[in-house]
Amino acid sequence: MSLPLTKDPTAFAETRIDDEIVVMNLASGDFFSLQDTGAAIWDLIDGTRDRAAVLAALARDYAAGDADLAAELDAFLADLRGSGLLSGI
Amino acid sequence: MLPSAARPLPQPHPAVALMARETRVREGRVARTLGGITLHDDSWVLRGSEFLMRASGEIGLHYRRGEGITLERPDGTDPRTIALWLNGTLYAAIAALNGLYPIHASAIAHRGRVYAFTGAAGAGKSTLVAALGRAGFAQFCDDTLILDISGDGPPVCLPGHKRLKLWPEGVALAGVEPGDLVAADYHKHFVKPAGGTVGEPLPLAGLFYLEQGERPEAAALAGGDRIERLQDDHYTAELWRQAAGQTRAERFASLAALARRIAMQRFARPFDPARFAEGIDFIAAHIEGTSA
Repeated sequence: MSLPLTKDPTAFAETRIDDEIVVMNLASGDFFSLQDTGAAIWDLIDGTRDRAAVLAALARDYAAGDADLAAELDAFLADLRGSGLLSGI
Repeated sequence: MLPSAARPLPQPHPAVALMARETRVREGRVARTLGGITLHDDSWVLRGSEFLMRASGEIGLHYRRGEGITLERPDGTDPRTIALWLNGTLYAAIAALNGLYPIHASAIAHRGRVYAFTGAAGAGKSTLVAALGRAGFAQFCDDTLILDISGDGPPVCLPGHKRLKLWPEGVALAGVEPGDLVAADYHKHFVKPAGGTVGEPLPLAGLFYLEQGERPEAAALAGGDRIERLQDDHYTAELWRQAAGQTRAERFASLAALARRIAMQRFARPFDPARFAEGIDFIAAHIEGTSA
């Protein structure tokens, strides 16, 4: 198992409103809204799961093919890394 | 039961009483500097519990929480000009410094609740309210809506403190009679609200964001859009941000909490003057249907 994916709690603030998770990047002041798979991935990054475990959990809940889910997950993780919201990576 | 002559007078809403107390005016010298910042004409600064503003024509306005407003003006200054300065940014700053939330909006009242319209300068907020007055809706406020957000549930709106003002184009569009000029060098007209006014605090029923569209339509806003729209770039939002002295995380949390308490919609309509009445008919029916 690779290292678990962990969010950096000092880098963001989050809130839930109308079935969306809204996340503010505290460094930039920008915020973005997560729905569906984006919100699911955000919740699955809880410090206990690595990429493979997150992907497996997504595959259980979403009918999309593994390749599509993996591409979506990797793009999302790249965005989070680029924004400095993941720690230890 | 007390005899009628001894009955206590009804007490104003605490936020209304607060604004009446904090906006009292005395004349005196006003500095050009606050918190190390020296102001040029037509600028302001907010620091701690104080607000300082300088206007052209050697007009100075200073507010300190608990002490009210100090006004400095040359002899012979047009009182209409002074009224504009007292009722504009300064009023919103005083509200923000006392925990009230100013929004750049004009509003009507219907069946005991307030329907507010917001948008950038020129979006048609005042013209819309004037035209809705002709349709029988009472005016609640023009340009600035002050919210008491201290309780739970929908915020309580404080009745407007300004008279309705329209540019000549707005007067023609709304089909209302132009009143006096607002000031000699400011060519908006005062307009008498055709549907009357409401002078008591009322809960906010909805906040409409004015947009251009092919046809009149209203749609509920949801999720992050509600938070983002509250964080607009108007000076009222900046006043609140500075007065509250919050970190980014605290401000985000407070905006999210406020967004959950306000029903927000986008209201789109054609900007073509020939189709102005379509928008008015639509929103009048929409409000009537929502409030029934």
